[in-house]
Amino acid sequence: MGTKSSSAYAALMECIRSHAPAEHGVANLPLSISQTRAEALLHVVHDVGGQPDGPIDKSLHKPAHWEKSTHCTAECLAWRGHWVSEERRRRENDLGETLYFGTPYYARWLLAAAKMLLDKGLITPDELFAKMEQVRAREEIAA
Amino acid sequence: MSRFKIGDRVTVRDIPSIFHTRTQGYTRGRTGVVVALRPEWVIPEDEAWGRYEGRREPFYIVRFRQQDLWPDYGGAPLDTLETEFSERWLDPSS
Repeated sequence: MGTKSSSAYAALMECIRSHAPAEHGVANLPLSISQTRAEALLHVVHDVGGQPDGPIDKSLHKPAHWEKSTHCTAECLAWRGHWVSEERRRRENDLGETLYFGTPYYARWLLAAAKMLLDKGLITPDELFAKMEQVRAREEIAA
Repeated sequence: MSRFKIGDRVTVRDIPSIFHTRTQGYTRGRTGVVVALRPEWVIPEDEAWGRYEGRREPFYIVRFRQQDLWPDYGGAPLDTLETEFSERWLDPSS
């Protein structure tokens, strides 16, 4: 998104590299993998119960406007029969580990909703991109 | 027609899952007690993949002893955890 110049591209790459391991092992793009490794890779993303993790931030969070809007959008899509909450949860898992664990709770809802609308032909990618461009301009978000 | 009643001991089926499941990994193969019956509803395996009018099954709230779920559980022996399963995930346990 917004990589209109080589410096912006370099900044994007730097950010992406901070999310991914600097070096890939011999397992990268493998011809075969062990059963143990396959089961670890295919573990259902949201099933985290019992996994080691750091402290949880339990501070109260006041819902932001975009979060409320996201929730309402998801409910309206369900009301119109385009999905149900269980499908949304499955679609959040479909985002993959990097996006799932790297994005805020309601951002996952938004991404799942956008992909659902595309998958079902309810919107086209160019409509989505045009809307993103419109919002970017309106909110004066730097590219 | 529900297969289990309140007080029945049940063991959660430990079968492979991929992409999406509502049956937590830490409950697989564990035994607990049915403490509540829930109304029939479309199973998550159908709802998750767009079959909104899919297969309906009874759901059950099952109570586990935390010590049975976590081998290294450090809390009180009385501690329990309750979660929910559709009927297909439960086997009778003696």
